[in-house]
Amino acid sequence: MSVKNKVLLMIAAYNEEENIERVVDDLKLHYPQYDYLVINDGSTDSTKEICSRKGYSYVSLPVNLGIGGAIQTGYRYALENQYDIAIQIDGDGQHDAAYLEQLIRPILEGKADYTIGSRFIKKEGFQSSGARRAGIHFLSELIRLLCGIKIYDVTSGFRAVGIRSIRAFAENYPTDYPEPEAILDAVMRRERLTEVPVVMRGREHGQSSINLQRSIYYMIKVTLDLIICRISYGVRREKREDLT
Amino acid sequence: MMNIPIRLRTALLAAIILFFVIVLYFLKRRRLTLKYSLLWLLTGTVMLVLVAFPELMMFLSRLIGTQSIMNTLYLLILAFVIILLMMLTSIVSGQTERIRRLAQSNALLEKRIRELEEEFREKAGKS
Repeated sequence: MSVKNKVLLMIAAYNEEENIERVVDDLKLHYPQYDYLVINDGSTDSTKEICSRKGYSYVSLPVNLGIGGAIQTGYRYALENQYDIAIQIDGDGQHDAAYLEQLIRPILEGKADYTIGSRFIKKEGFQSSGARRAGIHFLSELIRLLCGIKIYDVTSGFRAVGIRSIRAFAENYPTDYPEPEAILDAVMRRERLTEVPVVMRGREHGQSSINLQRSIYYMIKVTLDLIICRISYGVRREKREDLT
Repeated sequence: MMNIPIRLRTALLAAIILFFVIVLYFLKRRRLTLKYSLLWLLTGTVMLVLVAFPELMMFLSRLIGTQSIMNTLYLLILAFVIILLMMLTSIVSGQTERIRRLAQSNALLEKRIRELEEEFREKAGKS
């Protein structure tokens, strides 16, 4: 590609005052060539003040929209400012910035449109609890059943997205627990998905957004979301003109 | 009992008139937008027609096989309430979507204003 690709790192943060500084400073240090955007999802702690004081590039949502609404803000920003690739990174420091290049590479080489950083390919690092892995396995199988594509780490929020999906997600991105549905949605739009092995860390501070009590709600909601998403696309997948 | 007693008809009529008065009052005070109150007005009108012409109720009862006209009335009211609730849920969903879009636009605009202000301040400082 002759024109240099514009890459945006999107860091969604909800009440991450303990992690956000370390995450953003780390990204700024290792990837000064990329732009970044912190999306403060209506935090009630000092996340916004930290961003302002440190002079970060950030947007601040006036109300809490949840991860889906927050990330969509990032996609809308990416679209408005003509970025070619947008990368989702959690603001809690789970995602290791060292894997960014590997995550983007398939898109730069034109081999994929949408890449997902996956814990379960090399099975190294933080693997999550057994019950949660079982849930992820179930959703992974459900997605395979619905669209025929096997993605192992369907709940990973560490992703790189090319321009076609940026455009689609800016218009329409799933809410609440969006990760598995976004995969199905991209597959249905004939995007080429690739999983890239990464190592994730456990959380150092704060609570994960999905606790044990919410797990049942999570599973039911995501399962229904996936089925409805699949139905809304009709029997056949959309055609894609640029690929044969 | 395939008939509506005159006393019940009067009571129903009074209730429907009260219902219309309340809806019109809210409309006058602009606490209801006409778009959403249309549904309420339609409900009231159908009720009024049914009370005015009980033959319709009897026909309906025979059609769906209810034992008495009262059961048909209850069934109708329940159906109206369910339809209204579904429409309300649909309206709430639409508004959630709009609020999300607005919050996002607001955040994006706020960033642009912030950057413009900084730029402006820098320029003002130089000159």
